[in-house]
Amino acid sequence: MATFELYRRSTIGMCLTETLDEMVQNGTLSPELAIQVLVQFDKSMTEALETQVKSKVSIKGHLHTYRFCDNVWTFILQDALFKNEDSSETVGRVKIVACDSKLLTQ
Amino acid sequence: MAEQGLEGSQPVDLKKHPSGIVPTLQNIVSTVNLDCKLDLKAIALQARNAEYNPKACAFRFAAVIMRIREPKTTALIFASGKMVCTGAKSEQQSKLAARKYARIIQKLGFPAQFKDFKIQNIVGSCDVKFPIRLEGLAYSHGAFSSYEPELFPGLIYRMKQPKIVLLIFVSGKIVLTGAKSSGKISNDYLWEAHSSCIRGAEYLALGQPIEINTIFGGPCKIVYNLW
Repeated sequence: MATFELYRRSTIGMCLTETLDEMVQNGTLSPELAIQVLVQFDKSMTEALETQVKSKVSIKGHLHTYRFCDNVWTFILQDALFKNEDSSETVGRVKIVACDSKLLTQ
Repeated sequence: MAEQGLEGSQPVDLKKHPSGIVPTLQNIVSTVNLDCKLDLKAIALQARNAEYNPKACAFRFAAVIMRIREPKTTALIFASGKMVCTGAKSEQQSKLAARKYARIIQKLGFPAQFKDFKIQNIVGSCDVKFPIRLEGLAYSHGAFSSYEPELFPGLIYRMKQPKIVLLIFVSGKIVLTGAKSSGKISNDYLWEAHSSCIRGAEYLALGQPIEINTIFGGPCKIVYNLW
């Protein structure tokens, strides 16, 4: 199954990449295996978000900029209100990058 | 929707608009040639508020869709350098918006020019504030009217001179479309013709016998000849 590499830029993805880099530099891990781990990370993140996360968050803010190119939506929101069941928080500037997961299954 | 009508805030110049009704412009469509080949993907990636999806659906719609907030408009930008600007509320605003889009393209590094700007369509609307008997209007203006209530609830009135199309509804609301005139004089001319038509509708609504000459005053002389 093909996956997006979207989550590699998340905190957990960046940490994994850094660790793998270090291990490859040390020679404890082959570069091929490191790539394989990253691909597995992509799959696992997609699957985990699909099956294990049930909470919903609503994001509402002033749309400063949008873009749609290569099937990727990019939104920059100003003064966005993040809301879930029990808390809410306002953030001055948010960038949202979104892909259509249906494109992977086609 | 701001409506200027019989009870509009500004006084209406009755010499210009004998019916006392000034239609509100709702949409202007204009085109311009930027006269240079464009890399649409580069534009979509660099410009803000742009959409580009050449693989959309079965049909390939190869244009960048870009929007600006002031004047609030949407532009379709094609690889050939041709551009369509829609959504402006006046001809001046449409031109200003088209210039702004051209400037954006220039700033992205393309040698964009501003050639052959043309207003392609003007849509206006108004409310005569009384019900109109569409059957009567369709009967007395058969040559210009098409009224098929089973297909569309409005009467389609194809005025010959000036060449515009009016959608006339029972409620008294009227949509005018198809006008291509740019420039103020021809614009007034259009509204004059339109208000003449409304006066005709007014007579019909009041159930008075009408003569063609009372319906089309002023600039619609060609119409009487056709009659």
